Amino acid sequence: MTIPPTADDTGWRLQRPTIDAGLALEEALLESICQGESRFGLVAWSPTDRALVMPRRHERVAGFPEARRALSERGWPIRFRATGGTPVPQSPAVVNVALALRCQVGSSAAHLEWGYHRLGDPWCAWLAALGVRDVDLGSAPGAYCDGRFNVRIGGRKLVGTAQRWRRVRGSRDMAMLAHGAMQVGDTPEALVAVVNAYQAAIGDPQRFAAGSHVALSQELPDLDPEAALPGLLERLVG
Amino acid sequence: MTTDIRVPEDLWEGDTEGVITAWLVDDGAEVAQGDLVAEVMVEKAQYEIEAPISGRLGIAKPEDEVVAKGTVIATVDA
Repeated sequence: MTIPPTADDTGWRLQRPTIDAGLALEEALLESICQGESRFGLVAWSPTDRALVMPRRHERVAGFPEARRALSERGWPIRFRATGGTPVPQSPAVVNVALALRCQVGSSAAHLEWGYHRLGDPWCAWLAALGVRDVDLGSAPGAYCDGRFNVRIGGRKLVGTAQRWRRVRGSRDMAMLAHGAMQVGDTPEALVAVVNAYQAAIGDPQRFAAGSHVALSQELPDLDPEAALPGLLERLVG
Repeated sequence: MTTDIRVPEDLWEGDTEGVITAWLVDDGAEVAQGDLVAEVMVEKAQYEIEAPISGRLGIAKPEDEVVAKGTVIATVDA
């Protein structure tokens, strides 16, 4: 299997595939570790289209077919992903970074907490280097797809994180894919509205708060995210 | 010979419980060693669970069941 192109002579670069192709890039990255072809991989992509992306188990939710139809009519088709969590919007306003590693089971580097820090700590350091203050990892109550290891600015969710673990073929080692989705543009209100529309469509009373999210453009309005991204990817190489 | 399929004990710290998000093989189906049979989610992390030996799979815990580390979720009869 070919390892997804993540670097060229000019260094790390952002890819712009469709959402389906971007998710396939991540799957290929994880599979390259599982096949023993590599021990480390990194890919960064921002989609050209938009969709509400969720784990496939959500397909079993009562009212899902109607919700899928309603979201599609709003211009937000539903797609499925392989990592855990709950629905998140993907659009050109989101930059995804996926890090894949081979981990030895039983070592300190084989825990989900380690994986989240391996992805999130360099992310926080990159933001701090750009001049962003009050950056850390933690939960953001009221945010959609909340977890304990979001990258936060002032307690608001900038990057949602998730993982997938798979056994390396013919080995006790595990392959870990850690994924982060960072809102770089648009407004939190616009993306939260999509998730809340899905919640309403499936009859779930829970609603999410735009105030629990932040977009990078709100903190750094003059930043070109694509130009700054290599700094993040170099930190993630470690 | 019956072999248990357990939620791994060494992949996350603490006592956090997980959820069986998918059975990828039907109860009673024949599986081969190494086949992917289930997925368990813990803290937004999906773990893939494989068949430890070849044989007939018996599911002990259904989808959406909350499970602790070390829980027997299925057996395989060789």
